[in-house]
Amino acid sequence: MRPEVLRTRTLPVQPAALEALHELITDLWQESPAVPHGDRLRFETAVTEIAGNVVKHAGTAPGRTFTVELTVYPDRLEAHLQDRGRPAAVDLDVVTLPDELAESGRGLALAVAAVDELTYRRDGAVNHWRVVRRRRPEDA
Amino acid sequence: MIDVDTDTAPGAALLRPEGRLTMVTAPQLRAAVTQALAGGRTRIVVDLSVCEFIDSSGLGAIIGGLKTARQAGGDLRIAAPGEQVRMVLQLTNLDRVLRAYPSVAEALDAT
Repeated sequence: MRPEVLRTRTLPVQPAALEALHELITDLWQESPAVPHGDRLRFETAVTEIAGNVVKHAGTAPGRTFTVELTVYPDRLEAHLQDRGRPAAVDLDVVTLPDELAESGRGLALAVAAVDELTYRRDGAVNHWRVVRRRRPEDA
Repeated sequence: MIDVDTDTAPGAALLRPEGRLTMVTAPQLRAAVTQALAGGRTRIVVDLSVCEFIDSSGLGAIIGGLKTARQAGGDLRIAAPGEQVRMVLQLTNLDRVLRAYPSVAEALDAT
């Protein structure tokens, strides 16, 4: 299925990257006004968590970057994030929420809950994260 | 940015994160809670009416504030969360820990 809109950006591995990512996502919705509101919220929530995870755990050596590719398809929203940082020690099949008063450790569980697919693989020296939210009818 | 209002009610601090409460701004919320408690204001209300977006770091800062407020003999309440914040609270089951009040006034009454 052909993509409707594609956005790619290279961002610094720093917290400020989350703001640039938000701008990129906002730009994506302007180009794709038909994407339902609920899907937008869930997709951005998950992609922000994965980007935050990259920033927190991939190492912040000077000049280090990661890339984000966002694609709107007629049936789904897809994000692909790549970084050359440390491998992520995660098993997304068994990710669970921490104790309710924990102050961290919810990011991946939130991302998993918000979208339809979240996958991670390490390929050589590169971490690949893929996020997929299937588009629902507006009133679903 | 976190707007801080300490004039609304005695012993209370009203903290209003504007825009996005993420890894970027969560440390500011933690600092605002610490400062309020240091000033003897143990009734903390986090007004989320102008917070468009929260991530897990923002949630962590709110939970951290809840714990430190309780340790100081006070409490932390959240008010007026928007759609994305309510969704995130629900997906993380935190809607059971952080009861959301419809308005700041109701949250203040409850503290």
